[in-house]
Amino acid sequence: MNENGARILIIDDEPQIRKLLKVTLKAHQYAVQEAATGEDGVLQASLVRPELIVLDLGLPDISGMEVLARIRDWSNVPIIVLTAKDREEDKIVALDSGADDYMTKPFSMGELVARIRVALRHVATSAIEPILQFGNLTIDLAQRIVELNGERVKLTPTEYDLLKILSSNSGKVVTQRQLLQQVWGSNHSESESHYLRIYIGHLRKKLEEDSTQPKLIVTEPGIGYRFRSRD
Amino acid sequence: MRMLQSMWSKWKAYVYISLLIILITALFSQFGNEFDRVNVALVFLCPVLLSAVNWGIRPSFYSAVVGLLAFDIFFVPPYLNITVADLRYLISFGVYLSVAALTASLAARLKQQLHIAKQREINTTALYELSRQMSAIVDIHSLLNNVSKHVSQSMGLEIAIYLPDDRNHLVLTHRSDVHSDWGQSESEKVVAKLAFEYGDTVGYGTRTLRDTPGHYMPLRTEGRIYGVLALNLKGNQSKIVSEQWRMLEALGGLAASAIARAKLAEEAKIAHLTAESERMRTAILDSVSHELRTPLAAIIGSATGLIEGERLFSSEDRMELLITIRDGALRMNRLVVNLLSMVQLESGMLRLRNHWCDVEDLIGVTLSQVKDFQQHRKMHVVIPDTPPMVLGDEVLLEQMLVNIVSNAIKYSPDYSEITIKVSTDRHCLLFSVSDQGLGLADEEYEKIFDKFYRAAATKQVTGTGLGLAICKGIAELHKGSISGKRNEPQGTVITVTLPVTRQDDMREIPQASRTGDDNDE
Repeated sequence: MNENGARILIIDDEPQIRKLLKVTLKAHQYAVQEAATGEDGVLQASLVRPELIVLDLGLPDISGMEVLARIRDWSNVPIIVLTAKDREEDKIVALDSGADDYMTKPFSMGELVARIRVALRHVATSAIEPILQFGNLTIDLAQRIVELNGERVKLTPTEYDLLKILSSNSGKVVTQRQLLQQVWGSNHSESESHYLRIYIGHLRKKLEEDSTQPKLIVTEPGIGYRFRSRD
Repeated sequence: MRMLQSMWSKWKAYVYISLLIILITALFSQFGNEFDRVNVALVFLCPVLLSAVNWGIRPSFYSAVVGLLAFDIFFVPPYLNITVADLRYLISFGVYLSVAALTASLAARLKQQLHIAKQREINTTALYELSRQMSAIVDIHSLLNNVSKHVSQSMGLEIAIYLPDDRNHLVLTHRSDVHSDWGQSESEKVVAKLAFEYGDTVGYGTRTLRDTPGHYMPLRTEGRIYGVLALNLKGNQSKIVSEQWRMLEALGGLAASAIARAKLAEEAKIAHLTAESERMRTAILDSVSHELRTPLAAIIGSATGLIEGERLFSSEDRMELLITIRDGALRMNRLVVNLLSMVQLESGMLRLRNHWCDVEDLIGVTLSQVKDFQQHRKMHVVIPDTPPMVLGDEVLLEQMLVNIVSNAIKYSPDYSEITIKVSTDRHCLLFSVSDQGLGLADEEYEKIFDKFYRAAATKQVTGTGLGLAICKGIAELHKGSISGKRNEPQGTVITVTLPVTRQDDMREIPQASRTGDDNDE
């Protein structure tokens, strides 16, 4: 599907950032709407019905987190949050309460556009395809078969579950908590989080060329992991 | 009971003397006639001498008179009568009395001198003791405590010490008796203030305000008054003797010089701190203004060039200028991030979000961060087969490693090799990053972790001197350490040591947490 022409709502109080986003996104053929406050953002989200929202977490009137919660009450529209570098905690909270991805200011526009594309694509392909293809890696979800360069890779059930979640969210960040919850169930404990690291390590050893410089399963420090398709 | 006791101590000398004379009289009236009367008279001098040495001048006069009467009545005819038959005895009595008086006064003076000498010795010892103690005290409060304890003990009186505050207003700083409220009322403060401003002792025992029940002595050294020592004399005015006034003066002088010393030490410390922060400010200004201005100049120059001469540039030139703008902005961003990190570390605002971190993962993230500017330097990673987990803040540890590796890149030539090595021993995890750059003089390896320190050899490379200081802060937050040394044959090795707990069982996955039969499919 062609995501061009999608309506994007920008909620940010900084006129300079809004202007920058507007110019760049328009150049990429998106239709751009702007809101300078959280209240206006929530209102416009319901009026304009955007296909994606770029939300700054540091708003002057109501917190970005509240805007996120209020939009999530009734809508599944993809939301990409913008945060400052020193607010690591905010990113995790935002991602765990329904944001689809995040960008840390200052960011490169190319990367933001790529994230927007990924988020829009995930909406478009809501039904999971049975076979995922990432370069020389093939994941057959129907038969639970993973092949690298045409050769079958043996994975444990946990490793397979992790790979399945990461790859079906390819390009998007998945937080540690989301992974723990989906693989170990909701009764996992925080102290078990290091098993996650061990399994990710195992997966990398089996799938990456060089596990110290992973290209497929990339760590987002302090947040989680991102599956990068090689295309 | 107490009345009786004090009466006894007052009158016991007279009782003893009377008893002694009765004893002598009884003894000699028995065998008296065998002795010559002159000898008996001499025996009666004994109690006089004795009381003069032991009890002073009054008891000795008493014993002289009583002795004379006893001699007259029992040994001079007519017996048992005060009248004297032979008038020549009157001359003997006169001689007896004058000898008694002379010896009594001599002995008594001797005794008094002894007493004074003893008192002086006690005072000198007390002063010496106090001065010795005070020279060891730097803290002004324990010093005041000591002074007041000594003064109140040696004088047996309550005292208060007033010192000026920052605005030179006199405030009550110390009291010997914390339960008493003497010294707090306005009238006492006013008198103390008078002594402070007047620079001379006022109150009881002086010419100024002699009706007040207190004695207010300024604590002064040459040229400067440090405070006022006030003595509460209420009801005890008559007890103070001149020796004690002198003692008080000496103690006051000692206290003043001790306070002066403490004040001077404090001032010297503040002066040192001010100089240090001044030096720091200059360093920050130099470093930050240079690091901000250089990229700003590049950004403004390139941007204005692009705007004003749009048609003059080829598309390659335009791209070149745009890249200059981006790089300048990124450089400023790095500076801002570093400054913020430093502020956070120094202010203690940083909370560690401790998680188990995979060392291999940390290095992977670090390598991907430096990829853009490592150019052709070769990154060589040496890591154990089962690298340990380390408990720490992933984001901070990554920032630390990125800083160290970026430094290695910055100060080593292109195409050289940088080795990142992870090793473990029983209690710690060691990260070492070695480069083949210029290296530093041995004595500089300690200083490079100081804020804003730039090694002499690296002055031509831009930088703020913050990166390694931040690394040190992060390592110490994780209860670890960081150090640098020369790399053989050339370059630098930076080593971070982090404590590791329970590293053995961290790699194992317990059965319970496995989902089903977690063997390879």
